[in-house]
Amino acid sequence: MEKDYVFDLLNKAVDQGHKLGADFLEARYDDLQLTTINLTNDIIKQSSSINRKGIGVMAYYQGTPGYSFTPELSSEGVAEATKKAVKLAKSTDIRNKLKLDFDKIKPIKDHIEVKAKKHPKDYEFDDKLAMLKRGVSAIKEQVDATSTTGMYGEMYGEKFFINSEGSEIYWVPMIVDMRMVAVLISEGQQAMGAEGIGASKGLEHFDEKGRSPEDFGTIAGKDCKDSLNAVAAPTGKTTTLVSPQMGGVVVHESFGHLSEADFVVTGQSPIADRVGEQLGSEHVTIIDEGVPEQGGLFFPYDDQGTKTGKTVLVEDGILKGYLHNRGTAKKMNSELTGNCRAINFLYNPIVRMKNTYFGAGNLTFEEALEEVGTGIYAVDMSGGQVGLDGNFMFNCRKGYLIENGEITKPIKNSSLSGNILELLKYIKGATKDIEIRTGYFGGCGKNGQNGLPVGLGGPNVIMDQVLVGGAQ
Amino acid sequence: MSLDDLRNKILNIADTTIKHSRDLNIPSTEVFVLEQSTTNLTDNKGKVDSRDGLVQGIGIRVAVGKKLGFASCTGFDEETIKSTLKQAHSIANVSPENPMFNGFVAETKMSKEGILDPDIPHLDADDLIEKCNIMNQEVDLSDRRIISGSFGANIAYQGFAIATTEGCLASSLQTTFGANSYFVVTDAGDRKTAQDFVAARKVESVEGIAPKALNKAISSLGSKAFGGSEVLPTIWEPRESAPFLAFAFFNVFSGSAYVEKSNPWKEKLNEKVAVKELTVIDDGQKPDTEACQSIDAEGTPKQTTAIIEDGVLKTFLFNKMYGDAAGFSTTGNAQRGGIFGGTPYENIPVVGPNQMMIKEVAKNLEEQISEIDKGILITGTPIGLFTANPVTGDFSVTCNDTFLIEKGEKVHPLKSISIAGNYFETLNNIRFIGNDTEQSGWPIDAPSMTFLNHTISD
Repeated sequence: MEKDYVFDLLNKAVDQGHKLGADFLEARYDDLQLTTINLTNDIIKQSSSINRKGIGVMAYYQGTPGYSFTPELSSEGVAEATKKAVKLAKSTDIRNKLKLDFDKIKPIKDHIEVKAKKHPKDYEFDDKLAMLKRGVSAIKEQVDATSTTGMYGEMYGEKFFINSEGSEIYWVPMIVDMRMVAVLISEGQQAMGAEGIGASKGLEHFDEKGRSPEDFGTIAGKDCKDSLNAVAAPTGKTTTLVSPQMGGVVVHESFGHLSEADFVVTGQSPIADRVGEQLGSEHVTIIDEGVPEQGGLFFPYDDQGTKTGKTVLVEDGILKGYLHNRGTAKKMNSELTGNCRAINFLYNPIVRMKNTYFGAGNLTFEEALEEVGTGIYAVDMSGGQVGLDGNFMFNCRKGYLIENGEITKPIKNSSLSGNILELLKYIKGATKDIEIRTGYFGGCGKNGQNGLPVGLGGPNVIMDQVLVGGAQ
Repeated sequence: MSLDDLRNKILNIADTTIKHSRDLNIPSTEVFVLEQSTTNLTDNKGKVDSRDGLVQGIGIRVAVGKKLGFASCTGFDEETIKSTLKQAHSIANVSPENPMFNGFVAETKMSKEGILDPDIPHLDADDLIEKCNIMNQEVDLSDRRIISGSFGANIAYQGFAIATTEGCLASSLQTTFGANSYFVVTDAGDRKTAQDFVAARKVESVEGIAPKALNKAISSLGSKAFGGSEVLPTIWEPRESAPFLAFAFFNVFSGSAYVEKSNPWKEKLNEKVAVKELTVIDDGQKPDTEACQSIDAEGTPKQTTAIIEDGVLKTFLFNKMYGDAAGFSTTGNAQRGGIFGGTPYENIPVVGPNQMMIKEVAKNLEEQISEIDKGILITGTPIGLFTANPVTGDFSVTCNDTFLIEKGEKVHPLKSISIAGNYFETLNNIRFIGNDTEQSGWPIDAPSMTFLNHTISD
């Protein structure tokens, strides 16, 4: 669709909203193309080509928001959505006691496109299927698996945003991802290996070192085979070295959500009103960032038109701040952080994370192993769950014993649990290098908006007092 | 728009799309058309957010022999639909054959619809505010122990239609209403949460929801450490036994896992898998549940299926493709995910439960507690349920909302504990199945239940 036509539609929404009595409006249009291929046991279990597009209008009336959306990309459709958004804002104002209005800022005009060397739209379905077949072949070279799965996902498109300040933003999101999974069921036991990683890039991502389908398939197959001989992890409170991807999940799920200011302003977060407090050891720094130089998710603007930056949530163990939308930022007298995001046009933007990671430490990987001495190295997970009180439980599906400062044997699936606010006190150090990942599969869930792409990562982090549960 | 108008609209779009498919010489097509109107209101400690809008979309599967392609689009624009048909066709042409596929649903046959509330299409945010006001007015939020009180309400109505080139043209409608209250409370460093809700197919009273949630949260304060590790019975409130069992059942009831040989019960058909008192029904025809529809997500009439009868495994759950592949019939369990709050037209049909029901036996929760010398009462959903090993059935979860039971009475709430055991052994260690089923919000409703031999530790 022509950019001028879209911006014209969105501008009409803003103009109409003002005429209907709204104080401020934001209007956005998403046009996203998503492709998924799931090759299980050499059969395409699922393949889909999804075109997802629509318009969302947020109206504010005396600090009360109302959101309406429509798939009808016409003047009439947008007019109806705008009318409904303003009506919602006005009619719910009577009940809204916690008004989160915000100060006006200088309008932003920006146009950002990611220059992918191998844009997925320029490649056929067959080309992507061929990559999966290469990965699955690599699995089969390693292990006689009960089942093999190769998954490919891509998302790209356009995002348009305007608001009452005159901001006009256009940017192009993009993610490609590939996963390889091998499962072996033998004598009532299940062994599994999985590998893969996404990026905010084109298909050139899979040309990089260690990122080819063969690389993913080889690791998945080898891990599956190795896990047949895995030993039970030591149970009880254990010193644990967590990998960048594992640490990224822990910090995102168990701490990051507590730092989202919508939970903070309503008092639901256990870290509300604790800025300046020493929450963790001096080795703990936690960052949320829109466009990290280390990779991860490319996310330059949030769905409120705020330019994303780098937010230090915890520095040297001290809580420095929270993640905000414009309303919570004003309410808490904070800088804008660009964390107002919606999973798609069907939803109003809420406070979400971007790329969340532990800050780097000063150890080499070998020094970190030596510091652990005896414990486990938790490399990857398959599922986890957290509570708003900081309690967490993650299933460590790939890990190793650390004995006398060296990685020795693979361990069976184990649960890692604890309370993040307790655990932060027992972080003993981190390595120097940071890796941040993103992906098409999985994603973050909150308030029914599930599968939002985020970035996760950090260095390898030494955590003491992690409760390791029995082998499964 | 009336519900009748909605049905006519989606059937017409589905039928027209099949005509376009024929015009494009596509050999075999299945069209899924969805339209949904939704309005939501949340009030988190006075912070009100509201959302409404129209969800419209089409999912198209094309078969070229046994080669399948799928594409979807948002909205009902005719040119977009045609290009989506072409896209699905082009994917099918280059896909490898799927030997399990044996055609789309070929006839129009429908079971009964669930309850439809003709008033819901005429309600708006003002009606939801009124519901929140009622819940709010029933509780005293000035209690210093209350950190946060939240209220929410929602209404939606939707219809979906299925059409295939083989001759199916069917539809199903739903209306829903929901309301909930959620509280965070604290005292002397102890922090607890609780919620209560109603989820129905018609507008219902919200009276009593907020006081019940608040009382539950307050009564959980003052928790003490369990101290040690012990093998004990666990007694689960109805709303907690449901998710506990759901994670036990998802994989072992799955007909797709049966066909793909990853179902640990693949050799257990017609064998005893649980105590003889346990009967589990998958009910797609209970009129007051969200799962009650005239057809499933690929056009098969919904039905009621006994999965476990008197402790014996009688069948698995299937959609058409997996039922055909297994040599069974479909059980009307095709789902596309994302119903209410999602976009089912963006997903192909997979196998999933309708509303599973545990057949009631005897004894309510209090009667079960009174017969336990020492045990643990579970009053909140544990975290980590889905980390259970699907093959061995081993599980280890943590729970913040429990009480110690001694000599048949609740003694005091406990701080966070872990509960470990094995699902398959648990099904053979059921001490009581209650008679007090409550709606759980999960795809299974269950009464309170007592299980033996769980390892409790902190």
